[in-house]
Amino acid sequence: MSPTAAPLNALKSRLSSWRQDPGAAEDRQQVLRVEAEETLRVSFTVNGRPAEVDVAPRVTLSDALRDHLGLTGTHIGCEHGVCGMCTVIVDGDAARACLLLACQLEGAEIMTVEGLGKPDDLHPLQESFSRHHALQCGFCTPGMLMSAYDLLDHEPGVAQDELPEKMSGVLCRCTGYRHIMDAVSDVAQQNPEGVPAPRNCGTGQLLPRSSTGGPGSSAEDELQSRGPAEITLPSSQPTVTVSVEEHVQATPEEIWEVLQDTDRVARCLPGAELVEDFGNDRYLGRIRVALGPVKLSFVGDIHVTERDEQNRSIRAVAQAEDAAGGSVQAGVALAAKPHEGGSLLSADAELFMVGKIAQMGRSLAGDVSADMFAQFTQALDATARGEEPTQAQAPSAVAMFTRLMSQRAQSLVDRLRRR
Amino acid sequence: MKAAPFSYVRPTRLDDVVAELERAESTGGGKVIAGGQSLLPVLAMRLGRPKTLVDITRVRELAELQDDVGTVRIGAAVRQRRVERELARRVPLVGRALPWVGHREIRSRGTVCGSLAHADPSAELPAVALCLDATLTVVGPEGRRRVPAAEFFTGAMSTVLAPAELVTSVTVPTPRAGEGFGFEELARRHGDFALAGAAARVRRDGDAVTEAALVGFGVADRAQHRDLTVPMAQAVSQHGADEKALTTTLAEAVDQIAAEVVTASDAHASQQYRRRLMRVLGTRALVRAWTDSRRRTHA
Ligand SMILES: Cc1cc2nc3c(=O)[nH]c(=O)nc-3n(C[C@H](O)[C@H](O)[C@H](O)COP(=O)(O)OP(=O)(O)OC[C@H]3O[C@@H](n4cnc5c(N)ncnc54)[C@H](O)[C@@H]3O)c2cc1C
Ligand code: FES
Ligand code: FES
Repeated sequence: MSPTAAPLNALKSRLSSWRQDPGAAEDRQQVLRVEAEETLRVSFTVNGRPAEVDVAPRVTLSDALRDHLGLTGTHIGCEHGVCGMCTVIVDGDAARACLLLACQLEGAEIMTVEGLGKPDDLHPLQESFSRHHALQCGFCTPGMLMSAYDLLDHEPGVAQDELPEKMSGVLCRCTGYRHIMDAVSDVAQQNPEGVPAPRNCGTGQLLPRSSTGGPGSSAEDELQSRGPAEITLPSSQPTVTVSVEEHVQATPEEIWEVLQDTDRVARCLPGAELVEDFGNDRYLGRIRVALGPVKLSFVGDIHVTERDEQNRSIRAVAQAEDAAGGSVQAGVALAAKPHEGGSLLSADAELFMVGKIAQMGRSLAGDVSADMFAQFTQALDATARGEEPTQAQAPSAVAMFTRLMSQRAQSLVDRLRRR
Repeated sequence: MKAAPFSYVRPTRLDDVVAELERAESTGGGKVIAGGQSLLPVLAMRLGRPKTLVDITRVRELAELQDDVGTVRIGAAVRQRRVERELARRVPLVGRALPWVGHREIRSRGTVCGSLAHADPSAELPAVALCLDATLTVVGPEGRRRVPAAEFFTGAMSTVLAPAELVTSVTVPTPRAGEGFGFEELARRHGDFALAGAAARVRRDGDAVTEAALVGFGVADRAQHRDLTVPMAQAVSQHGADEKALTTTLAEAVDQIAAEVVTASDAHASQQYRRRLMRVLGTRALVRAWTDSRRRTHA
């Protein structure tokens, strides 16, 4: 090595830690080095969706899943491998998420309890746990389910009397285990060929929550300079579906004119603004939502995928994240049809939420979204008729907050605060 | 609890692993991380605070599992669950011991070599390595050396490894003609570390015992290896296939070893209880190994 090569290599390897983890494609000569206070960007898939996290070396997979990706289904009990609460599937085998460093997992395929099933399409194991009363407090349930999935995946014909030993990797403080064994045994017997496939492993992207252990640079600057992103909506069930139809005074033609100008459209949405126009109908936008003390600021990509002048309709997909709240992906369709001299303005949206916002609860998240759409249609109507709406202020949703049943809103606030 | 901060280094070549371990040694201390199934609990409980972890799992040559004539070689990045799946038949004693190592969920990440390097006195794999006369390959700044299992373990969680050395693989002999194995353990719950356990290997030529070895673990600061060829051969020539009589005679021989090696009482078991376990499990393992050897004509 020449005298100049040493510092150069040191610099290179330092730089490497700010870049993407090279993973499998790793330069065979290179040593990946991440200092204790640095973070590494690691890419893996979670429940079939690509995910990225920026993590310091000591961050475990369980913390990355919970704090960085908002997937809190993976529970943490002991954090040293004994209780099994954190059991997830990594590259096809069950493992303790608390005993894996996220930085070791570049390229890994991870499945968590969120991937197993959907609330209205439960995995047979989940269904069986419910039928057999295999849970009381439910704290061990994600670990039990993932361990059972792994067992039946690899040993489909497992004998009933072997179950206590084979399921001994996860502890339960409530049930006395008997019902858990019954639930697993039932699924084993009904599926001698192997455990049924998971029900909620879709495509689409899981967005990192940059606040937790992120590199510290402004997420917005980064997004702006990296250009437009490809947006794929998950194939799984949306967290919230919103469908609003409103009779407005403006004619479809007038509305269509506003829809042509994305900047004006954005201004109709309370708290929203366009940050960057990347061209080709791709944009970077921001939307602020304030619910009492909860203030979220989502920044992300929007892509208008379809403009249909004939039907006066547009379709768009978007994905955005908030540093603390989580991420949202959305598919939106807007259309204006002639109706009694004005128009019938319809907005249909499918929202996929990850993180704390997803825990707001289906109906409350639905209320908030529906209310925003209602405000949006009104503003759009006003704009179309030449009454430019006042630029919607960030906390414009405060009004909405008071409109919501205050009790439910308060319980959300309490829930978010406690975390 | 969360681990204290540490740096993470991941080389892809063995030379770099050694260089990184040397560098870490001079900058506050480093540790190899393989599966992390013993190391991460130690870090999480802050019982250890290495400044640097050197991840060896992406060094390609360490991920090799080689099935040769007469031996298998298990690389340092090879996980226990893979060995359980692929080699349980080829090295039956390893196959019998592995299900006792923690749980499936632990074995899917934990490595065989990591368990040897960790050298827990209650661990199964060091006992198996001793019983089978396995050989560890060790690489460090001074180069490569081969260390027989009998010389590798020096005490509780202590081995002959120098700070910048690592185990690169372990070579385990496959069964020879007339060889049989026994493995017994008692733990408070399945997957827990053993209160006591025993691994046995018996070799036979016709009806005569030509070799017998017993390893007790969980009973002292490290697994205890004893050659029992003479008492085993005598017991077999006396009692042949009569397992009951064999058991009684062998129990005396094992008892003598137990009296000499079982060192400590702790919260889980008294010294007296461990001695009794050693006698019962040791004898059972030997008898099983003998029965096993009679079923097995060749490798
Ligand atoms: C809940 C639980 C139950 C367990 N039960 C058991 C049990 O019943 N029996 C049992 O034997 N074990 C048990 N274990 C421990 C575990 O099985 C092994 O000790 C572990 O798998 C070791 O392998 P590893 O690859 O995970 O090592 P790591 O955790 O990565 O490393 C362990 C130690 O060995 C060093 N090391 C690792 N590889 C090398 C190498 N190639 N060269 C030099 N040094 C190295 C590390 O620096 C570290 O000090 C249990 C663990 C848990 C969490
Ligand atoms: S939290 Fe991972 S095993 Fe207890
Ligand atoms: S249901 Fe409460 S811990 Fe298992």
